[in-house]
Amino acid sequence: MPELLDYFEGNRLLKRYGISCIDSQYVSSAEEAIAFSKRGPIALKLISSKAIHKTKSGLVKLNLTGSEIKAAYSELARKGNALKPYKIIAQKMAKPGIEIIVGGKTDPQFGKLILIGLGGIYVEVFKDFALRVCPITKNDTIDMIEQLKSRKIVTFSGKDTDMIAGVLLKVSKLLIENQEISELDLNPLIIRAGSYEAVDIRIFK
Amino acid sequence: MKKINLRPMLKPASVAIIGASRDPEKVGHVILQNYLNAGYSGKLYAVNKNAGAEISGIKVFGSVLEIKQEIDLAVIAIPAQFVPEAMEECGKAGVKTAIVVSGGFAETGNKELQDRLVKVAEKYNMPTLGPNCLGVMDPRSRIDTLFLPTYKLSRPSVGGVSFVCQSGAVGSTVLDLISGEGFGLSKFISYGNAANVDEVDILNYLMDDEETKVIIMYVEGIKRGKEFIEIAKKITKVKPVVVLKAGRTPAGIAAAHSHTAALAGDYETHESIFRQFGFTVAEDINDLLNYAKIFSSESLPTGNKVAVITNGGGVGVLTADEISMSGCLEMSKFTKRSCDALRKIMPALVNIRNPLDLAGDADGERYSDALSVLSTDDNIDIFVIITLFQTPGADSRAAASLISFKEKTDKPMIDISIGAEYTRMHRIMMESSGLPVYDSPLAAISSLSALLKYSIYKNRK
Repeated sequence: MPELLDYFEGNRLLKRYGISCIDSQYVSSAEEAIAFSKRGPIALKLISSKAIHKTKSGLVKLNLTGSEIKAAYSELARKGNALKPYKIIAQKMAKPGIEIIVGGKTDPQFGKLILIGLGGIYVEVFKDFALRVCPITKNDTIDMIEQLKSRKIVTFSGKDTDMIAGVLLKVSKLLIENQEISELDLNPLIIRAGSYEAVDIRIFK
Repeated sequence: MKKINLRPMLKPASVAIIGASRDPEKVGHVILQNYLNAGYSGKLYAVNKNAGAEISGIKVFGSVLEIKQEIDLAVIAIPAQFVPEAMEECGKAGVKTAIVVSGGFAETGNKELQDRLVKVAEKYNMPTLGPNCLGVMDPRSRIDTLFLPTYKLSRPSVGGVSFVCQSGAVGSTVLDLISGEGFGLSKFISYGNAANVDEVDILNYLMDDEETKVIIMYVEGIKRGKEFIEIAKKITKVKPVVVLKAGRTPAGIAAAHSHTAALAGDYETHESIFRQFGFTVAEDINDLLNYAKIFSSESLPTGNKVAVITNGGGVGVLTADEISMSGCLEMSKFTKRSCDALRKIMPALVNIRNPLDLAGDADGERYSDALSVLSTDDNIDIFVIITLFQTPGADSRAAASLISFKEKTDKPMIDISIGAEYTRMHRIMMESSGLPVYDSPLAAISSLSALLKYSIYKNRK
């Protein structure tokens, strides 16, 4: 049974490989969450190994400000009691952009695999993704992006292609150098105006 | 990576058939008979504990140990439970390689018996193909271990395509189809359960085999992933490999925890790895043959711009559609010089553009005239010629014009001819002269795309 890596342990691992993640912190009260929202609207997410698909289970509250935060926090805390142990995470709200998924898994025959696809809730419906075995080369990253039916959505400009190629190379390196990581999801990873942030992270040991 | 020498298996100077039988219903009889029919010129020994003194004029030995001569290959076709012992005798007799045709091992749940077979093969360092396989065919050395009689399955002519196949049924079907193609066979290797010799060993051997220009393969699963990647990286820099993978079932996906694991099932993983290392992925059996045809006759294109020359407007447009949808090929824009020259020599009803519709009355001469102008056009990298033989002008002289142009041009050139008997006759004429002919725009253009994509892969870095 794979074990879900602590969110911030995952965050630190990603940052060590130069992969940008959205500002986040654990909060243990509505007050802490409100304090975190000083710089703008936030999202609250309930993290529990008993609930893998957060969006589906209604465990994500988006775009919260002021008094909404308190209500959302108590709702999540109530749901969390049924899914113990749990934690609640506050995240800066990501600005809208193009959502992609970058992922990794371990194949018993071939080893570490890396994936890119159109992200968010669409990836499972459209099954539009490209897969390669690690380590990948720069050419492989270009092929992967080219292979996507949604490549024109995913790469708004040539600069985006280079940036996404860079993320893929970093994730490939991370997977190769951390063999204990069995599965990894950066979903969504949001691209906007020449920069990107991993907005949700799930890493399994 | 340890390389296994399959030469004694494919080019044996001596073969022992273990299980050779007088009974025409027995597999061992058909195999022996096929060796005789194929005209194998090496030494042939029959082995059977109780078959009497001779079968079809070949002396029968009670055991391989009694032969006391050098044996390159033992073909074993006896009931599964006797196989390990027969192999043990082969090992003691110094037999160099073995093929176990018999079934009844891991594929029927008898893993223990298969493990014993592998142990013997390893103990005597005797590369063993199978079990549960058709074995090998090599029309050059006239080796044919198939237990299927020649009246049921036509044997392909000598050529440059090697076919590696895990399944016996797919193997015999595709071989039968290859016998109807002009390109011919280099080696057929059916490896069944892959207990000892597997696809990695076979690809390793075929990579260095000069008689093999193109490899086509059918696989159900790859046994040694890491070693497969090592050979895959190397082999596609040397020669093209076309692969058909079976099993699109979503096995194993239920256990996934992440989105990534749920998406990347077994088929997707294999297909992606094939793509990554420059294999050409076939979607079905027809693709295997279509791609083998173009890879075995055409040089790699140096660009993606296609000239389409047709004697039927509609098929020309369908072909142009396929080209623009291919995602890699483009319709060429003829140079002004070509257009001016064409306008001078073509009848007024011929519109000078690409696709170039020579009209229904186009004969061999009109094809020759158009091709000779376009032969010097630098905007053209590839020629696709459409010859619809139902039209008034097209006859054997049109086919002859194409054949003669094909001999002169260095650029890839293929033909599309759609039709029944009369067309088929011309297709054979053109294909036996080295011009690949396809029976639909889709088959033609997907083959051309495969050729171009391989060329791009091979030449990069």
